[in-house]
Amino acid sequence: MTPVSRDRPFLALVAILVIVAVAMPLLAGTPFALSRYLANAIGQLASFAVLALALDLIWGYLGILSLGHGLFFAMGGYVMAMYLLKHSFVVTGTVPDFLQFMGWKDFPFYWAGFDFFPYALAVAVAVTLLVSGVFGYVSFRSRVGGVYFAIITQALVYVAMLLMFRNDTGFGGNNGMTGFSVLFGWPMGTSGMITALSVVSLLVLASVLLGCRLLVGSRFGALMLATRDDETRLRTLGYETLRLKLIVWCLSALIAMVAGMLYVPQVGIINPRLLSPELSLEIAVWVAIGGRGHLVGAVIGALLVNAVKFWLSFAAPEVWPFILSGLIVLVVLVFPNGLIDLAKLKLVRPMGARRMAAELEEAR
Amino acid sequence: MKHWFLPSFLFGLLAGAWLLPAPAAQAAGLDRAGLVQDLCGDAGAMGRAGAALTATAATGSDDERAWAAPLARAAIDRKLACDAAGAVLTEGGLDALTRAPREAQGTPRSPLLSLKNRPVYELADAAFALRGAPDAGRRAAALRTLERRPALIPEGLLDMAAEAEGDAGLKAQIEALAQTAALNAADPAARIRALSRVADNRSRRALTQVTALAQDPAYASNPEFRAAVDAATARIERGIAIGDALATLYNGLSFASILFMAAIGLAIIFGLMGVINLAQGELIMIGAYVTFMVQQGLRHAAPALLDWYLILAIPAAFLVTAAIGIALEALLLRHLYRRPLMSLLATWAVSLFLVNLVRVVFGTQNLQFETPFYVSGGVPVIGDFIFTWNRMFAIAFAAVTLALTWLVVRKTPLGLNIRAVTQNRDMAACIGIPTRRVDMMAFGLGSGLAGLAGLALSPIYSVNPQMGQNFIIDSFMVVVLGGVGTIAGTVVAALGIGQINVLIEPLWGAVAAKVIVLLMIIGFLQWRPEGLFAVKGRRK
Repeated sequence: MTPVSRDRPFLALVAILVIVAVAMPLLAGTPFALSRYLANAIGQLASFAVLALALDLIWGYLGILSLGHGLFFAMGGYVMAMYLLKHSFVVTGTVPDFLQFMGWKDFPFYWAGFDFFPYALAVAVAVTLLVSGVFGYVSFRSRVGGVYFAIITQALVYVAMLLMFRNDTGFGGNNGMTGFSVLFGWPMGTSGMITALSVVSLLVLASVLLGCRLLVGSRFGALMLATRDDETRLRTLGYETLRLKLIVWCLSALIAMVAGMLYVPQVGIINPRLLSPELSLEIAVWVAIGGRGHLVGAVIGALLVNAVKFWLSFAAPEVWPFILSGLIVLVVLVFPNGLIDLAKLKLVRPMGARRMAAELEEAR
Repeated sequence: MKHWFLPSFLFGLLAGAWLLPAPAAQAAGLDRAGLVQDLCGDAGAMGRAGAALTATAATGSDDERAWAAPLARAAIDRKLACDAAGAVLTEGGLDALTRAPREAQGTPRSPLLSLKNRPVYELADAAFALRGAPDAGRRAAALRTLERRPALIPEGLLDMAAEAEGDAGLKAQIEALAQTAALNAADPAARIRALSRVADNRSRRALTQVTALAQDPAYASNPEFRAAVDAATARIERGIAIGDALATLYNGLSFASILFMAAIGLAIIFGLMGVINLAQGELIMIGAYVTFMVQQGLRHAAPALLDWYLILAIPAAFLVTAAIGIALEALLLRHLYRRPLMSLLATWAVSLFLVNLVRVVFGTQNLQFETPFYVSGGVPVIGDFIFTWNRMFAIAFAAVTLALTWLVVRKTPLGLNIRAVTQNRDMAACIGIPTRRVDMMAFGLGSGLAGLAGLALSPIYSVNPQMGQNFIIDSFMVVVLGGVGTIAGTVVAALGIGQINVLIEPLWGAVAAKVIVLLMIIGFLQWRPEGLFAVKGRRK
């Protein structure tokens, strides 16, 4: 693998992210300032890109496809929403809608302490590690992998969605949670807050990208690729891959959780639809379109697909599913490595010798 | 301890049977002149007259009832004019006694019903209407009036009314009221008789009726009655328990049939090619839509055959979905066999496309299906368990599908090829089996089975573009649990998941059932990672 210092696409992307992050607050108030909508959209896109990185780490570099990463995304999102609601309640005294809806006088006991952000963060990390750790351990230990693992993770996120749709769980039920008014003591919804959230998301994206790049470039990264390409051989050589897979799986879950924590304050609502199997599948689509096994590709895929989705949600919402399914088929059949193929202009015909070469390279 | 219950209960029955003809003998002829006189008398006399009217409604001859019915109505409406010569029905101007036309003499008095007498007359009026009104609506209204005071209804009235009633629905209502009335009758023997009749119908409604009698004063004072109540309660409770158990089994079986239908195609395809078809749910949906179109076509072309659309749609649903499946395989999945994870995304793209295509063409609303006679209604068996025909249709359909699939896989050359390729693709190719052709045919078979699942679902579930997604994850779980490519595994896993879901649902709810099933499957995979009926061989 090319050393970080000579990986030009990677360096360019990090540079662009940092420049945008620095430019946004500097341009505020000038005629070149971004509109509130655009600034907010950039922040959301950045959090989706973080989510795509989380999936690319486990799918692209370890060959394990999770169709349930929405679960960890939502865990971060729900904890963030709980912090925001409790914090808003402590500062402004507004009682959250879902409490009134359920006719409850007070927050359920497990909401205690959520107005203190470090505690909320610790809970998010602990819950994510617990769920991903236990699930990963039992799955990897019995060597559940491939398509089996994918559909079991899908069932996991589906069940979580059904659970969160219940109104008596104390997490907002089917209406979800909304009405966040204060974040770290500052009012939400102001231009300054929107820009700040956007900048933080971009910086987090840049640092997660950097961290992942360093990880996959390290000796540990080499082991990840070896596990992906021939796990049996690695085990035969005497290497225990269970721990490695578990560590990367939990790390990926944590990154998805961080993405969720960035996402929720920017959209201002969370509901169980975040846990729908469709969203989790879409994450895989972003990565596949961008090019799995390439961190830069995953980020670009997430940014591009979601930018088109944002735009079409206004312009022609009924057309979007057709475009998405067309994109997937195109990527799957013609550009097996996603946009990376396009960048290299390595157009591969669906059947034929060059296609075999592409498959071999993909299985590298 | 309880050994004396039964004999005394039987004795009660016998005594009741012996006493039965007694009340009929009392009303031998009606004193018409006395009745008219009482009607014009004081409140006490009017009360007597009301009781006599009620008794006439129950036991009087046709002639007597026809004579007495207008009196009750006239008394309620104050259309009765009392004078020196008796009384006149002012509506029509007839003498109350002789029914000859005449005018009231002098200054007639219209008696006013006291608050206490009014219900008695209303009851009598309703009793007459129930037995005599030609209009079913009026009889139903009269029945509702009677239902308010079951304890006052004279014995025998409802039995006779039920006997004469032509309307089946109304007749059932009258009989139900007769039971309630008899349970609250004054005569303990009649009550005990009624108890045994109520206990024959082992439903929750009967249980509420019977258990309410434990608060009755007679329950404490009359040991015979008490024994009868206890026996009836025990009998009904036993019936309900059996009915509930059967209903759970039956519902589980029908859910399992649906799961099996949805999963068998998936299992064949997964076993053969290692591809999970995420569009399987949408093929189910398309099967249901084809069924709908066949129904609409029949409605226009051959209305006489409309009832048979579920049968006539079988080939259409199978062929359309099989064609879609073959096209899907030939155009898309053929290129992805070495990349099973990418095939997941590709089939998801197809599912997205199909859902939205159907949404654009048909809209998002639920489709309206006719209910043919062979899937409507059911046979009440015991307790609250009803053997419903629509569920039976799904179960029978799944059983036939299972048999046919088994025949195809076990007894046809195609099935032999499918099994060979499933076991060892390379070796099968070496001995000359056209593996790619087998893949295509098997994909067609699996997709066609999904179409049939859609057809079987259409009389039970709501059919809309989203419906496929409700089954897809459950059927994945069936495949994971059952093991790849085995029909037996799919059957056992579908039965297991179906029954567990239905067993847990009433205890902790549908969501908990899904959570528990998923946890059980994850736990199960610790023990047998290849599923229940894995083909023995090297782990890949």
